[in-house]
Amino acid sequence: MESNPRLKFFKYALYAVVAVILARLFQIQILQKETWVAKAEAQHTLENTIKAKRGEIFMMDGEEPVAVVMNEKVYTVIVDPMTAEEEEIREVLYNDNVVKFTTFEIEDVFSDRTRRYFVAAKNVPRELAKKIQEVEPKGVYLQETTKRVYPEGTMAARLLGFVNVDGEGQYGVEAAMDEELKGKDGLLKTVADINHVALSIGNANVKIAAEDGKDVVLTVDRNIQAGVEKILAQKMAEFGKDQASALVMDPRNGEVLAMANLPSYDPADYGNVEGAEVYVNRVTSDPYEPASVCKGFTFATAIELGAITPETVFYNKGYEIVDGWTIKNSTWDRADLLGPTSIQNAFNWSLNTGSMFALRKLGGDETAINEKGRKILYDYYVNHFGLGKLTGIELFESKGLINDPVEGDGRDSLYANMTFGQNLLVTMIQVASGYSAMINGGEYYRPYIVKGYMENGKLVPVEHEGAAWRAVSENTSATMREMLWGTRSLMRTSGVDPVGYYIGGKTGTAQVIRNGAYSMDEWVATYIGFGGAEGQMPEYLVMVRIWKDGETTGAEQYAQPVFNEISNFLIDYLKIKPGA
Amino acid sequence: MRKHRGDRIIVGMMMVLLIAGLIIIYAIGPMRANFLNAAYDQDTISENHFFVRQLVNVIISIGAFVAAFKFPYEKMRKFSKWILLLGIVLSAGLWILAKAGSSIAKCELGACRWINLGSFGSLQPAEFLKLGLLLYLSQLAASRKAEGKLSKSDFWLPAGVASVISLALVVVVQQDMGTGVVLIAIILSTILASGVPLKQFILVVAAILVAGVGAIVVAPHRLKRVETFLNGEEADSYHIENAMIAIGTGGMFGVGVGNSVQATGYLPESINDSVFAVMGETFGFVGLAAVVMIFVVLLMRILRVAGLARDTEQQLVATGVFAWIAVQMAVNVMAMTGLIPLTGITLPLLSYGGTSMMFIAIALGLTFQLSCFTRREKEISNIKFSNSHLKRGRLKEGAARRNFKGGRGLKKEALS
Repeated sequence: MESNPRLKFFKYALYAVVAVILARLFQIQILQKETWVAKAEAQHTLENTIKAKRGEIFMMDGEEPVAVVMNEKVYTVIVDPMTAEEEEIREVLYNDNVVKFTTFEIEDVFSDRTRRYFVAAKNVPRELAKKIQEVEPKGVYLQETTKRVYPEGTMAARLLGFVNVDGEGQYGVEAAMDEELKGKDGLLKTVADINHVALSIGNANVKIAAEDGKDVVLTVDRNIQAGVEKILAQKMAEFGKDQASALVMDPRNGEVLAMANLPSYDPADYGNVEGAEVYVNRVTSDPYEPASVCKGFTFATAIELGAITPETVFYNKGYEIVDGWTIKNSTWDRADLLGPTSIQNAFNWSLNTGSMFALRKLGGDETAINEKGRKILYDYYVNHFGLGKLTGIELFESKGLINDPVEGDGRDSLYANMTFGQNLLVTMIQVASGYSAMINGGEYYRPYIVKGYMENGKLVPVEHEGAAWRAVSENTSATMREMLWGTRSLMRTSGVDPVGYYIGGKTGTAQVIRNGAYSMDEWVATYIGFGGAEGQMPEYLVMVRIWKDGETTGAEQYAQPVFNEISNFLIDYLKIKPGA
Repeated sequence: MRKHRGDRIIVGMMMVLLIAGLIIIYAIGPMRANFLNAAYDQDTISENHFFVRQLVNVIISIGAFVAAFKFPYEKMRKFSKWILLLGIVLSAGLWILAKAGSSIAKCELGACRWINLGSFGSLQPAEFLKLGLLLYLSQLAASRKAEGKLSKSDFWLPAGVASVISLALVVVVQQDMGTGVVLIAIILSTILASGVPLKQFILVVAAILVAGVGAIVVAPHRLKRVETFLNGEEADSYHIENAMIAIGTGGMFGVGVGNSVQATGYLPESINDSVFAVMGETFGFVGLAAVVMIFVVLLMRILRVAGLARDTEQQLVATGVFAWIAVQMAVNVMAMTGLIPLTGITLPLLSYGGTSMMFIAIALGLTFQLSCFTRREKEISNIKFSNSHLKRGRLKEGAARRNFKGGRGLKKEALS
C-alpha cells in the first residue's frame, strides 16, 4: 500500500497546536505567575478578627468587688433557605420560646430560596440555642456573640454608660475607659475554601491572639450607690422635682463612693429614651452655678490669708452696689439680720454681703473690690480648690469656666457674684474635691473612681497619688469644718443629726440664667456637707443637686433634706461609731 | 499480513495518563465531596467517593481497551453501521424522552446529553456517535476509494447524510458544541486522509464554516457569546478566570499534590472539565508540559499506526482516533488557558467520568490492535524513499521495491 502524504498535515497541525499551548502555559505559569498568585491570594485569603472579650465593670460591695456590667453569650441564628426545611424551621425557631427573638416572619425567610444567608433570630440565650443545636436542623447555623447585661438594671446607668451595636462604649465608664475595656482584637488570616472554611493548606496562615479587655473595678460602693439613688428617687417624688444628682466621696483620699443621676435609663434598652440628655453624667459633665456653696471657698481663702476670722464683724446693709449693680442678699427683707454681724453669721444665713466683704478684705481695701483681691480669689478658686479645671477623674469631665480677674469689663461685679457662686461654671466633682481639701486638713486629692482591675478573680488595686497639693493650712481647714458645723445647729437641735457625730454643710440656691439674665423664678438647689464621728476627721462628703426646670427650688427646703437622708444612711451603712 | 507485537508505547502512555488522572482525583476528590456536601448541607458524599468511582471507571476502561484490542477488527467492522445507528437512535431517543419529561434523560441547563442509568451512573450517547461515525466513514471511504468512486456521490451522499444527522443531534439537539467540534474533527480527518480531491475537501470545510457562521448569526445568544469572547469578557469568565488562577499559581513546579486551593470550590468542574487546570496548580509548568508531551507521544504513535496501516480503512480508523483524541485534548486545554471559548469537554483519560474514558479506551484498544498488523518500519522507510522517487522520477512502486536492498546506495546515486 502506498504511503499517505496527507498524514504529514496531521503531524504538523499537532506540532503547531502543541507549540501554541506550551507557549501559552509558559506565559501564564512563568511570566504572569505573580499576577495569578495575587489574584489567588485575594480570593483565598480569609481575614477574621478574633474578637477580644470586652472587660466587665465591677463595683465594690463592702470589701468585695461585684460585677454590675457583665457579658452574656447569646446566639445569632442564620438560616440557609435553600437547604433548610420550612416545617422544621417552624418547629425549631417559631415556637413559643424562640419566636420572640426572631427578626422576620417565617414566610419572609423562605420568600427567596436562592438567598443562602438569612439572619432569622438574634440574641437567643444560651439554653435555647443549645436546644436548637440538639435538633440539628438542616440549613441552620448558630453564631456566638456577646451581649452586655446589667444585673443592677437602671442603677448607675448614667455613670456606667452603654455599648452600642458596633461594640463601642458610649457615655460614662464604657466610653471613657473604652480603650481598656475593649482590649485588642486579634487577627486570623487563613487560606479558606469557597465557603470560608479555613484550610490547613499553605503556610501563609497568621494568628494573632486577642487581648481581652480589662475588668474594671470602680471605687463606687454598689450599696451606697443604690441607697443614694433610692433616697434621690423618694425625695424627687416627695418634692415634685424631676432632676437630681448626688456625689458621695471619701474626703480623705478623693475616692468616689457613689455618683448618681436621676432620672436614669435602662442600658439594656438604651434606645428607648426621650433624648440623649438622659445619658449624661451631670456630676462630671454638666458645669453649673452651685451658688452660696462657694462662700466656703471665699471665706477659706480670706481666713487662710488672715484677712478675716469667723468672728470678724462687718456691717450688713442687706445689699451692696458694685459697678452700678445692686447685689442683694436673698434675705434682704429680714430686718433682724441688718447691721453689724459676724462672718459665721453671714455663713449661717448665707449673706452675700459677707462674702463680698471678704473679697474686699482680700484686696486690703474694706471699701471697694480691687484687682489684688480678684487675683487672689482667682488663684485660690483655680489653683487651690481646683475649680474651672479638669480634676483628672477617669471619666469624661467638663472644665467649666472661671472668668479672668483682670481682662474684661465689670470684673468687680463679676467677682462679687463669684464670691457666692454665681457668674462661674463648675462641676459637682470640682466643687466636691475642693471642699474635700477644705475640710480634710487642707490637702487636695484628685478624685478617682477606678479602684483597680480584676485579674484571675482577684482585685488588683491601682496606686493613686497621694495629696496633689496643699490647698489651705490645717488650721484654716479646722476653722472651715467648724464654720460648716456651725450652719447646722438647727439640724442638731431638731435631732436630724444624731448625737456624737460631727456633721457640717452649706446650702446653695442658684438663680438660673434665662434669656441672658438671672431669673427670679427658676432656681437650682445645692447642698454640700460632710460627716463623721465627733472628734474624728470627716469620713464622707456628700454633694446634692436637685431642681426642676421652671421652678424655684431652694436649697434649704429641697437639697438639705436630701443630704440629711444620705448622711444618716451613710452613718448607718459605714457603721461609723459616735465619738465620745 | 501476519500479526506482530503491538505498539506498547500506546499502552504505556495511556496507563501513565490514567494513573496521573487517578492521583489528581485522589487528591482533590475529598475537596469536591466536601464542597458538594457543604453546598447542600449533607454528608452523603464520602471523602473517597470520587476516587473509588474513578478507580472503577479506570478498571472498566482498561477492560474496554482489552476487549477492543482482542476483538478482531475484521469482525468489528461489520458492526460499524450498527454502532453509528445505535448512537443516532440513543440520541434521538434521549431527545424524545427529554421532551416527554422523563427522568431517564439527564439534563443540565436545558441541554440533555446523558441517559440516566440509575446507580450505574449515566451514559453519553454522543460517544457512540463518535466511534460509530469514525468506523463508518473509514469503511465507506476505503471501499469507495477501492472502487474509484471517492469523489462521487456514492461516497459523498451517505457520508454527508451520516455526518449531518450526527452533527445535528449533537450540536442542535444536545447543544454540545464541544462534542460537535470533535465530531467535525473525526469527519474532516477521515475525509482528508482518504484522499478526496483537495477542491472537494476545501468545499466541505467551507460548507461547515458557512453552516457554523450561519448558526452563530442566526442565534443571537451564540453571536453574543462570540462577541464577548472576542472582547475578553466571556459569559464563563468566572470559570476561565479561576482555571487560569489555578494554572498560574502552579508556577514552575506546582504547589504539590493535595495543596490545590482552587479545587476547594473556587474552580467549577474541578474534577472533570477543569482537571487540567488543577493539574497545573498541582504540578506546575513542568507537570503540564509533561502531560501535553505524553499526549504528543501517544498521538504520534497513533499517527504512526496510521502511516504504517496495512490498508486504507485501517489507516483512516487510526487517523480518526488521532483526530478525536488530539482535538478533544486541544479544545479542553485551550479553553482552560483562555485561548478559545469554553465548550465543556473532558480531557481524555484524565477527567473524572466513565463514558468518555471508556470510549477513548476502546478507540485506543482498537488502535493498539491495528498496530499489530502494521507493515514493518524498514519497509516504510523504503516506501518513503520510493515515494520521493515516485514523485520525482515517476518510478513504479515495484521498481522501488526491487531496489530496496541497495536503497541507501541508490539514494546516493540518485542524488549525485
